[in-house]
Amino acid sequence: MIQAFSTWLHGTRLSWAVAGGVPWIWPLCETLHFMGLALLVGVVGVFDLRILGMAKGLPVGPIQRLMPWAILGFLINLTTGFLFFAGDPFQYIHNIAFAFKLLFIGLAGVNVIVFYVSGLYRRVDGIGPGHDAPIAAKIAAGLSLFLWIGVMYWGRMLPFIGNSF
Amino acid sequence: MMPFLASLENSAFGAWVRESSSLWAYPTILFMHTVGLGFLVGLNVAIDLRILGVAGKLPLAPFERFYRIMWLAFWINTLSGTALLIADATTKLTNRVFYIKMGCILFAVISMVLIRRRVFRDTVIDRDAPAAWPRALAVMSLVLWGGAITAGRLMAYFGPVSGAPGLQNRLP
Repeated sequence: MIQAFSTWLHGTRLSWAVAGGVPWIWPLCETLHFMGLALLVGVVGVFDLRILGMAKGLPVGPIQRLMPWAILGFLINLTTGFLFFAGDPFQYIHNIAFAFKLLFIGLAGVNVIVFYVSGLYRRVDGIGPGHDAPIAAKIAAGLSLFLWIGVMYWGRMLPFIGNSF
Repeated sequence: MMPFLASLENSAFGAWVRESSSLWAYPTILFMHTVGLGFLVGLNVAIDLRILGVAGKLPLAPFERFYRIMWLAFWINTLSGTALLIADATTKLTNRVFYIKMGCILFAVISMVLIRRRVFRDTVIDRDAPAAWPRALAVMSLVLWGGAITAGRLMAYFGPVSGAPGLQNRLP
């Protein structure tokens, strides 16, 4: 099925455009992919590091107001990432680094969902300046940092462990 | 100048970074450069957004603690960037886009220091509507980091091609 989807995608005009048919699309998407990365890592970093105990003067609740910007960064990267995939699907579907990148993104997503569903989100929301987060929240924050750094690792390894550019 | 750049590039270290098949050479150095970018630019952007009024209930002063991470990320990128530069000295150091990137970073770091010294230590800002100049600094910071990222990426598309002396890269 992935094979059939990739074959279809590779035949589209979008794929042709991204793969060099329209030469500025690829570099533009790469640049946006790095900006999205910074937005996501920066905002998530502020939240995770605060939960872990850095900059304890920050109340946790209001940090959530920054989250739409992390989501924006994620959506920019989802879009540009899909365009890279569309440009040449076959260099990704057999690439082990790409599989691990998707796995780590998925795990980061599960981590966020568990954080909300388990009620941890509400427990940290009221934490005021100078107060410590519960240990479960610290584990989730540490995991989040590890997973996003991992996503960057697998992304960077695409051409080296696998063979994508 | 060119013989000096060539000797840098052909040094044992330069050749190792560029040509070693070890994942610890070029791939890991590039990964470090990316993580450094994420935290240095990302934390700067978060602070800029706060200055511009996002999450206005957050006090600004505690953000100062993140400067430890930002400086750590800065030095990781200075070191990893220097290694990548040595590996491709003849092409990167003759590429105009590289100097645009360095200019952007220089002024971005200056605005990062100014924000810490002038904006964070100004206790009035947390309580009252901020003056125009902290916002101007924040916008300047966003534009400069965006410029640094853009120039860094475009080094692979404009000017001399890394690893291929004499070849000119251009968008087809």
